[in-house]
Amino acid sequence: MNYRLPAAGAAVVFALCAAAPLAAQDKAAKPQIAPRPLRAPDGHPNLDGIWAFAIDLPPAALKKQTASGVAVERVDQSSRQDATNVPGALPSTPAPAYKPEFQAKVKYLFDHESKEDPVFYCGKPGVPRIGSPRRIVQLPGEMIFLYEDISGDPWRIIPTDGRPHLADASPSAYGDSVGHWEGDKLVVDVTNFAEDGWFGEGGYFHSDAMRVTERFWRVGQNLAYQFTVEDPKVLAAPWTAPPRLVKPSNEPLEESPKCVEADGKLLLNSDHHGQR
Amino acid sequence: MQTRTSLASALVSLLAIAAAAWAHHSPSAEFDMAKRVSLTGTLTKIDWVNPHIVAFLEAKGADGATENWRMESNPPAWFRRVGVSRNDLAKGIGQTVTVEGNRAKDGNLYMYMLKITFADGSSLELVNNAVTEASTQ
Repeated sequence: MNYRLPAAGAAVVFALCAAAPLAAQDKAAKPQIAPRPLRAPDGHPNLDGIWAFAIDLPPAALKKQTASGVAVERVDQSSRQDATNVPGALPSTPAPAYKPEFQAKVKYLFDHESKEDPVFYCGKPGVPRIGSPRRIVQLPGEMIFLYEDISGDPWRIIPTDGRPHLADASPSAYGDSVGHWEGDKLVVDVTNFAEDGWFGEGGYFHSDAMRVTERFWRVGQNLAYQFTVEDPKVLAAPWTAPPRLVKPSNEPLEESPKCVEADGKLLLNSDHHGQR
Repeated sequence: MQTRTSLASALVSLLAIAAAAWAHHSPSAEFDMAKRVSLTGTLTKIDWVNPHIVAFLEAKGADGATENWRMESNPPAWFRRVGVSRNDLAKGIGQTVTVEGNRAKDGNLYMYMLKITFADGSSLELVNNAVTEASTQ
């Protein structure tokens, strides 16, 4: 095996500087997204359509070097980031508050995230961790949510015609959802969760009593998304997370490749992903 | 085996961050993020799977013996959104390529792939946002 020194840093920085104009040209060439009407034919807010990918991805950019030049592409992760000053958003806090007797457990899970988080091992993120849907199909009396996720490509069918929760559904990662309109917001009430998941990366475990309320509304051409988690067994109070703004997209959905986790046995410590 | 590693330049540290702050396991729990190593060999296979794509490289060790390296990188969804498909990597199967990355701490023939340079000189490289942001100002 023959190792060698990597390219000099200064040369790479120079290459990146040179790459910027090309990257800008590439972005300018992407097809425009047609404006979407704010209202559906039935008068409710129009949430229908493809929305930006909202699953967390690595923050790196990609430098492509070819004979014709250098370009840098980066991933727009704005749909996964907390937004501020979102009209219609509820007051929020950055993190949930656990009851005193569970604070040691949530800290342990956070500190050992690499080994303890089921999502790291191809587990389903569930609601609300999966975030906003990639595609919403808005029908009279029903909303269909489609997602792309490394664990598979889940879907949810959410009645909005007044039907109650299913009486005999088994607990699941995405729970049982029913929706209704409150003014210009779609409010989705989700119950009946399997209790082996986390509702956030910070070791946010929950019980079978978790209830999630998701809210979706339009802010101009964007989709606003915010959720509240209630779990009277483990949380000291309901937690309303900061809102997110999701851009419209014209990128078609694709089937996610199968998930084959092979890293777990190679982890030599319990660093969570924020540590280095 | 002849091993030479980076003298931990600030840039290499920045590049290492590219794989460090994602919502998967911490790369620092598995890979030596302070060392960026390079090897050259024949690309034999690309597995386009979650949560990381995996490339396979056949290289010669210092003793002349064949070594089969397994190299993971970012997830398929990330590559898709920076305009790279499986075909963009699979085109190199059977070719001699050079790969740079962070080797597994446990000494296995395994690394986090940060850059691949193909036989025609073209390359794909993970770079850190902080660097690219600075480059555009």
